[in-house]
Amino acid sequence: MKRPLRLRLVLRDLGAGAAFGAMAVSGQLPLWVLGVFLLSLVLALSDVRIVARHARLSAVLLLIAAVLLGLRLTSGAMNAVVAACAFAGLISAQRMLSTPDSSADGQTHLTGLLMVAGGAALSGDMTYALCLIAFGVLASLSLALGVVEAAVPDGEPVPVRSVLLPLSGGLSFAVAGAMAFFILFPRLNWAMVGPRSAPGFGAVSSAGFSDTVRLGGAGTIKSNPRVVLRATLTPDPGREELDAYWVGRTYDTFDGQEWTNVVGAQRTERQITLRPASDTLLHQRVELLPAYGGRTLVALESPSRLGNALALTPTGTRASTVQLHGGGEVRFTITAPAYTYEAYSLPPNAKADASSGLRAEERDQLLALPEHLDPRVAQLAASVLDGEKEPLAAARKLVSHLQRDYAYTLEQGGSLEDPLADFLFARKAGHCEHFATALTVLLRTQGISARLATGFFGGARMDGGYLVRAGDAHAWTHVFVPGRGFVTVDATPPSHRTSQGFELIEKLLALYEAVEGRWRQSVVDYSFRDQFELASKLVRPPRRTAEGAATSSRLPPMRAWVTAAVVAFLVWRLGRIVARWPRRALRLEATRFLDRVDALLARAHVPRREDESLEDLTTRLARDGHPLALALTPLTRRYLEARFGGRALREGEAEHLLRTLRRALDAEAARHAHKPDEQAGPTARAS
Amino acid sequence: MERLAAQLGRAVQGKPTEVQRVVTCVVAGGHLLLEDMPGVGKTTLAEALARACALSFARIQFTADLLPADILGAQVFHSQTATFSFRPGPLFRQLVLADELNRAPPRTQSALLEGMAQGQVSLDGETHPLPSPFTVVATQNPVDFSGTYPLPDSQLDRFLVRLSLGHPAPDVEARLLTTRGAASPLASVEAVTGPEELASLRDFAAEVKLDASVAEYVVRLAQATREHGDLERGASTRAVLALGSAARAQALWEGRDFVTPGDVRTMLVPCWAHRVLLRSAVQGVSARDEAAHLVEELSRKVAAPR
Repeated sequence: MKRPLRLRLVLRDLGAGAAFGAMAVSGQLPLWVLGVFLLSLVLALSDVRIVARHARLSAVLLLIAAVLLGLRLTSGAMNAVVAACAFAGLISAQRMLSTPDSSADGQTHLTGLLMVAGGAALSGDMTYALCLIAFGVLASLSLALGVVEAAVPDGEPVPVRSVLLPLSGGLSFAVAGAMAFFILFPRLNWAMVGPRSAPGFGAVSSAGFSDTVRLGGAGTIKSNPRVVLRATLTPDPGREELDAYWVGRTYDTFDGQEWTNVVGAQRTERQITLRPASDTLLHQRVELLPAYGGRTLVALESPSRLGNALALTPTGTRASTVQLHGGGEVRFTITAPAYTYEAYSLPPNAKADASSGLRAEERDQLLALPEHLDPRVAQLAASVLDGEKEPLAAARKLVSHLQRDYAYTLEQGGSLEDPLADFLFARKAGHCEHFATALTVLLRTQGISARLATGFFGGARMDGGYLVRAGDAHAWTHVFVPGRGFVTVDATPPSHRTSQGFELIEKLLALYEAVEGRWRQSVVDYSFRDQFELASKLVRPPRRTAEGAATSSRLPPMRAWVTAAVVAFLVWRLGRIVARWPRRALRLEATRFLDRVDALLARAHVPRREDESLEDLTTRLARDGHPLALALTPLTRRYLEARFGGRALREGEAEHLLRTLRRALDAEAARHAHKPDEQAGPTARAS
Repeated sequence: MERLAAQLGRAVQGKPTEVQRVVTCVVAGGHLLLEDMPGVGKTTLAEALARACALSFARIQFTADLLPADILGAQVFHSQTATFSFRPGPLFRQLVLADELNRAPPRTQSALLEGMAQGQVSLDGETHPLPSPFTVVATQNPVDFSGTYPLPDSQLDRFLVRLSLGHPAPDVEARLLTTRGAASPLASVEAVTGPEELASLRDFAAEVKLDASVAEYVVRLAQATREHGDLERGASTRAVLALGSAARAQALWEGRDFVTPGDVRTMLVPCWAHRVLLRSAVQGVSARDEAAHLVEELSRKVAAPR
């Protein structure tokens, strides 16, 4: 048997891997199936076909796996689709590791198709589509190479380069065309046919809200670059970095160790109004991503109304009600990996009197101090304030004192009896929760009402909206100003309020999240309405030319240079390819010409030995004085010149030469037809 | 080239293909090994070649007692001046006929080696350049083995082409009888070219274009000989290069400035049959034919570019 082309097998196995990936991205496959498949893929890629020798054993193992999956299916522990997908993956792994003959190839590709179909039933997100495209491309290349390999005679090298280059070009066109088709025409929503995966990387919660804030918790969250929240603001602030507070909830009671909330109303409605609206509201469309992991709605300070909540569950999008808890916290009533909702907030300087809504017990709670407060705390507050009674001025004095004398650190002091005293008098360093707690308690010792607020600070511009990361989680202080309500005061040094992670990882993640968001918007949730909007946008000429010019002139020179360099490189590569084109075309043309000559000669039954080239044939005919040699000699010479001598056939020359040959062949055939008659005559007579 | 071949054809009648190979070999700048039984015109061919090209010629009859100094030359003491001076041997000619090369001991055979490969002779620490062009035409008798030293492989590899003339056809032989008489056939050979022209011919041959696909074809042929089950040793890299230059000269002979796979196939057996080593223990003529047969079979098996 001929040894199969290694590249084709690698492409085949990678294609199966991509198909498996299309299922695996849903995150619903059992872990052991994932492990088995990955191991088989690695073995197959390193050309270790262990099943080839133990075909029976592997069949028994497959049977056992099938029984296991069936048991889990009947016991209700596993979805039928998931079980089928897992089994398809196992079959594919077995086929990859068997002897690479044509039937194994076909079965591998077939299971690949099955897995892609299974993946479609499990998830419809972007990574799935990428896997689907990868499978399509790799499997096509592998199949095409297989066809070419079968056509090439034994012992000759397979022209991999000359096959793959045009094929890759054609495939890129096909993929681009399919994507254009996908966007131009509306389609079924995946969510209607099957379970749907959540946006973002899996459903691992990294941020979120607990009912308490405990000083001395883990500090790694500050460097977590995962995006937890995506928001579009109207009116758009248009800034690169948003310096705004996204409040989640507030706390009014500190017991020396942790903050809790003792008072608060409880309501469940479609829409919650926290404070009366004014006429300059800031509208936010917020999407909470799985990395958020909580059920608390956040909105920019100071939220006025929250509602229109949708939960993105694996079985589709569902409307959710929201519930008001203590501390102004609003929660979804449904648990889902991701949510969207709308919020209206009062702008930071809006005049709104919230004091009227505050009950007496609530106001008393804002002055409550821990039972065993270190007496030095009150002394410190008194010495810093120096008689200042006006709440905001007092708060500012304390803030400047804290920011001047205390350092920011993410290192934890460990489990302490009195973390506040440790921060204020011993370590003199801490993170945002220490600063906020210190400010709040210091204010309270001097009879000024204040509470702790937690949420996020900041927001990075991306794709017309803003991204907030897990590392942007923050705590700050609300100071109650009579007649004005709560005013946000932040004791944390300004440079340490936002995420402290690596910039590159943050940028990459932000890019992925932005692309993913756009994918959901334009593919997963694409509908007739979007198509209509696109069409009307195309019909109507764009009117914002001036604005466009302004943005383009603001393009940073660095980015422009890099873009230009990339474009130049691509153009150069394209130029190289185009420059090499004529030579290859010329060679191919000569070979094509030879094919046509061969076909003509075969049709005319010119006697020719199996391994004889046109050159040999012509030489032989010329030596024998065959009449065809006259027509063949110039033709052969021109072919050889074009093929090996670098002098291409002129336009129409091939046709001319072929015509001459055809005429000569016809004459030869006529001569032959004549001769048998002559020969037949005498014999007939003789008999 | 054709003029040259015509002159040679006068001396060695009825062998146009072999004569053409000889010319090709000389134009390619290689050395020639003629392997044949005595009396078929090997010496005549070599002498005619020297005459037609107007090359200085020497014939060395190799015998069992021939020493290297006999062919290379020696330091001679001049009693008048009391100095040594180098007296060049018969090798210092543009065309050297090494007759019955395999009769000389290996030591003498290998004395030829440096001359053939480097075009120079080292003697007593001094290097003496050989005249240019320098061509060795060696003959050996494949039938009579008694008292011979078979050529080592390294020496065989240095011959570009190995040919055997064989007996002339009966009609040619008959014509020889009637026309030749007492006159030497060499008398009719005229000088049609000189060393300078030969050198320029060699330059032309070196400039003949060898397409990448043809080069790849040659390499694939070499690969096939190396992987062949019946061959102890396949074609060396020197053999690949030799085939390339021989095919170039062949293309020039055909009046082309580029090499075709046909040229490669034409020169394949003369170029490589003596360079491969058979696994089987056959010797002599049958081994030679077997090797030629195997190499030719390979040329049919390995697909030519098209």
